Amino acid sequence: MANAQRIMTLYDVPMWESIERRKMALPRCSACGTFRYPPGPICAECNALDYEWAEVSGNGTILSWVVFHRQYFDDHPQPYNAIAVRLAEGPIVVSNLVGDEPDGSWIGERVTITYRRHLDRLQHAFTLQNQKSTQLNRGEDA
Amino acid sequence: MKPVGMIAKAASVIGIGQTDWPGDHARVRAAQKPHDSYGYAAQAFVGALADAGISRDQIDGLIVGPTTAYERVGELLGLDVRWGGQADAMLGVMEACMAIASGQAEVVALVYGNDQRSALVNYGGADAQGGGAFLSYVYHAPWGFTSQGALYALMARRYMEERGMSQAELGEVAVAQRMAAARNPAALMRKPITIDDYLASPFICEPLHIFDYCLINDGGVALIVAEAGKAERIGRAPVPIHGIARHDLNRGATSLEPRLTDYYQPAQKTVGEAVFNMASLGPQDMDALQIYDSFSLHIPLALEGYGYCKPGEAGKFMREHGISLARGLPVNTGGGHLSESYMQGWNHQIEAVRQVRGEAGERQVPDCRHVHYSSDVAGKAVSIIYGR
Repeated sequence: MANAQRIMTLYDVPMWESIERRKMALPRCSACGTFRYPPGPICAECNALDYEWAEVSGNGTILSWVVFHRQYFDDHPQPYNAIAVRLAEGPIVVSNLVGDEPDGSWIGERVTITYRRHLDRLQHAFTLQNQKSTQLNRGEDA
Repeated sequence: MKPVGMIAKAASVIGIGQTDWPGDHARVRAAQKPHDSYGYAAQAFVGALADAGISRDQIDGLIVGPTTAYERVGELLGLDVRWGGQADAMLGVMEACMAIASGQAEVVALVYGNDQRSALVNYGGADAQGGGAFLSYVYHAPWGFTSQGALYALMARRYMEERGMSQAELGEVAVAQRMAAARNPAALMRKPITIDDYLASPFICEPLHIFDYCLINDGGVALIVAEAGKAERIGRAPVPIHGIARHDLNRGATSLEPRLTDYYQPAQKTVGEAVFNMASLGPQDMDALQIYDSFSLHIPLALEGYGYCKPGEAGKFMREHGISLARGLPVNTGGGHLSESYMQGWNHQIEAVRQVRGEAGERQVPDCRHVHYSSDVAGKAVSIIYGR
């Protein structure tokens, strides 16, 4: 087994640098305003090439979630969750829910971005907007 | 009605072959290495040629599966051809039909071998396969999100909640396909299971249980596809291909947009209209379905996407109408990837041919005239209709 690796294309590098600054940014189309995820060289909506890096609000809604009961990576002991979040800016990102978990279904829960230390990097995770406890970011580098 | 398009009924399957899936699986589990991918491909090819009853010299086209090199397979089999290529099962059949319809080839061998089990191929983790073709298979790894099973688990969770399918209803897939495998001497997993067995089985990536996952085993499959007129002249029991269609959803693929919003069903709807139109047939004419089932979820999605039931009713359809050899619309009559063999769609093709020929033994669907094959791997929907 091994640790999980990031995909680091030319266009991913600035995104991970922005996550390291705790201000996740994505390429935003200069012509139509569509955000690109994963970051890439062209707008899939209008095929404009120009873009600027724009910080995301960090607000989103859970579209779906899973719980892994098998270990695939050294750095992810099971069980652990993964969520698909629809960001307010449009794209869907996959991340982890940390802190309180909803009772029952997670779908439709509103979440906010946070950043936590993982090995040698920061990476994003999300917390429920309506936290049940005050120990929000236990175990995090928030 | 006359079929539509130049590839409708342009070609027929005249030969099928497969390796000894259960025997080789037992040998691999006993730490032996019976063959490599090329050895499995070679065995399947020899079987298909014998089944067709033709000589190698009559082959003038070659399609090789994605797990072996095109040239090396051609070299091993001694095949110099005037047309060829490398493709997965569904696109391989499609390309063979197109080559035949356009006069580039007359008799095409399609050959697949895969030693994925003995070669310890991983579909999840740091060395997960498929990232070169599908970025979604590897892009989300930093969050521990890996394996195609997880992609389908994420899709299943939302689908089940939004469309109202229960875990027990999803379990109908694994139970029905195991029933089929129990009647199939070439299947790996033949011990019948119940819905209770399914519900009690461990989760791999929740909400998917281990019985929702395909097997991983070594093996090979081959088909011989010939121009329809020639097939009638030289073939023992030609099975015409009545229609083939394809539609690919690429937009938003890595961020899982088409997977999580419409469950790939817009692609299936488009493909369904095209393939049924081409064949001048409809869902009501299909006697059995073969659905690419890397995971059980493919089955309810296809039932809805192709109009076998209404959107949101697949769970009820599977539970009340049935999808087994015992009742309803038989799906994956050999056991599919879940219980027969994980030949990445190739075993579905030869099962469809066998059913139309009426040579499926204990698992034969009575008076099977038409079989619909469907796959929607990573939102790339393909349908093929085999018939008399």
